Amino acid sequence: MDLLGIVDYLVGFAIMAGIYAVFALGLNVHWGFTGLFNIGIAGFFALGAYTAALLTTSSPDAAQFEDFAFAGNWSNLPLLDWGVDAWYVMGLAAAALCCGLVALPVGYVTLRLRDDYLAIATLGIAETVRLVFLNEKWLANGSKGLYRIPEFLGDVVSPGAYDYLYLPVVLVVLAVVFVAVQTAVRSPWGRVLRAIREDETAAAASGKDVFRFKLQAFVLGAMIMGVGGALFAHHVRFLAPITFDPLLATFVIWAMLMVGGSGNNWGAVLGAFVVWGIWSGTQFLPGPLGEPSFRLFMIGVLIVSVIVLRPGGMLGEERRTARGAPQAQAVGEG
Amino acid sequence: MAATAPILQVQDVVKDFDGLRAVDHCTFDVWPDAITGLIGPNGAGKTTLFNLLSGALAPTSGRIIFDGRRIDGMEMHETFGLGLVRTFQIPREMARMTVLENLMLVPAPQLGERLWASWLTPWRVARQERRIEAQALDALGLVSLSHLANEYAGNLSGGQKKLLELARTLMAEPKMVLLDEPGAGVNRILLRSIASNILRASVERGVAFIIIEHDMQLVMALCDPIVVMANGSVIAQGTPLQVQQDPRVLEAYLGGQIHGAA
Repeated sequence: MDLLGIVDYLVGFAIMAGIYAVFALGLNVHWGFTGLFNIGIAGFFALGAYTAALLTTSSPDAAQFEDFAFAGNWSNLPLLDWGVDAWYVMGLAAAALCCGLVALPVGYVTLRLRDDYLAIATLGIAETVRLVFLNEKWLANGSKGLYRIPEFLGDVVSPGAYDYLYLPVVLVVLAVVFVAVQTAVRSPWGRVLRAIREDETAAAASGKDVFRFKLQAFVLGAMIMGVGGALFAHHVRFLAPITFDPLLATFVIWAMLMVGGSGNNWGAVLGAFVVWGIWSGTQFLPGPLGEPSFRLFMIGVLIVSVIVLRPGGMLGEERRTARGAPQAQAVGEG
Repeated sequence: MAATAPILQVQDVVKDFDGLRAVDHCTFDVWPDAITGLIGPNGAGKTTLFNLLSGALAPTSGRIIFDGRRIDGMEMHETFGLGLVRTFQIPREMARMTVLENLMLVPAPQLGERLWASWLTPWRVARQERRIEAQALDALGLVSLSHLANEYAGNLSGGQKKLLELARTLMAEPKMVLLDEPGAGVNRILLRSIASNILRASVERGVAFIIIEHDMQLVMALCDPIVVMANGSVIAQGTPLQVQQDPRVLEAYLGGQIHGAA
């Protein structure tokens, strides 16, 4: 591989890792701070990606793609003809909104119940979303998938240089999400979430409306996942229901958060780059070592070693100490 | 010492768990200027009654009136909002949060608990946080835990967790506090400090207390009146002296149940 090839690879890698970091931050809001067990990330992932794609993709030439069934084509409406690619930003916002609107009723019916019901419900959403996009062919071309999803600012740069433009876009969105989440969890709002994670009953005895805060956290996390999905759609530019398999759309994100450090936003981002680095880097290993099953095995080894050696992840949760308080030697280890 | 109306009225309250009647037609009043003791043998229904009062459980029948309002069937955060705060028999602390955070959590309503406020007006949230932090440090000082402010609450000893629970109730600026065995597992010196804190809150801040406690020395010294429960029912109430001399109380404590069952 020549130098340019390596740089191209690294840029592509950083884009995917950056997108995964957005998902890991969303999961951190759910699990890391609030203790909500969401094992259906793939559902919000798909919903966000399809929403953004449907809003920005124009239907292809009928002669060339005769069986293309598609309910999108919104971007041809003169509604928002501002010269800039306003539709992409709209798509991003709509993806977040759409995921929030789905998370709201699901959270409303399950968050009062025991924890495990949320897990089952999220698993159910993931499968429902997948089946809707698979079977409702008029919506997004069913199993054949949506293709020709446009490039963000595609008319500015040549297709070959697209990744170099898209990487900063992803990083900017990641930075905005990071700051928003970090601000939120460091505020009294985040303190209530952590209290709920630690002990729901005690949080209620401290006067907190546990259900309301859980619902807010669930919706916020889902919206962030929608943003991640939208970023993904404009990166790979081809979506089919099979894209969102539980392995790469749910499990790997959990691995990232566990490895990086649940309850720590820097950890979520670090975990995304480390785990994606291993997943992506191991494909260059020679012979059977580059097989997907072995690469998955490597991620398994990583998770187990982190859990054994550093149970809190590479960066554990930070202790929020107050400067105004008298300092004392720790009773136990911090 | 002359309160005109009871702050809490428990009227004919019943709680059934499937076949088991844990609380059986309980009726008593609690006065705002008093520290009321709630005693009785194990399994008498005292903690279940606390769960009913605080909103952790809803009664099967009966009425609970707090400060002129019916609260039976309310949720815990709602009764908290009315000024009724409880502690737990086994302390429930947020283990992986610092002692100070455990207390700063409590005051309500907090501006920063609204997501938009922490994003859009962080300076106002920060100002309120400084005030709450000072208040929390004060409360820690009252229970002599200041030196542990930045420690994880999960690392405290059992007795220190009891003190933290007490500090938590002070942070809430309540009208009434339900303490479930504040003295269990606490050494004598710590116990004295807990008792003096309770007394001070009662006298200086006018907080009403109901205390479940098995340490009779503490109960007799601190509480007046005393309500005695056995088998889910209130079997006696009155001053410490009246209760001590009541034959039904002696029977309940010294094996009356065996008599009754035979």
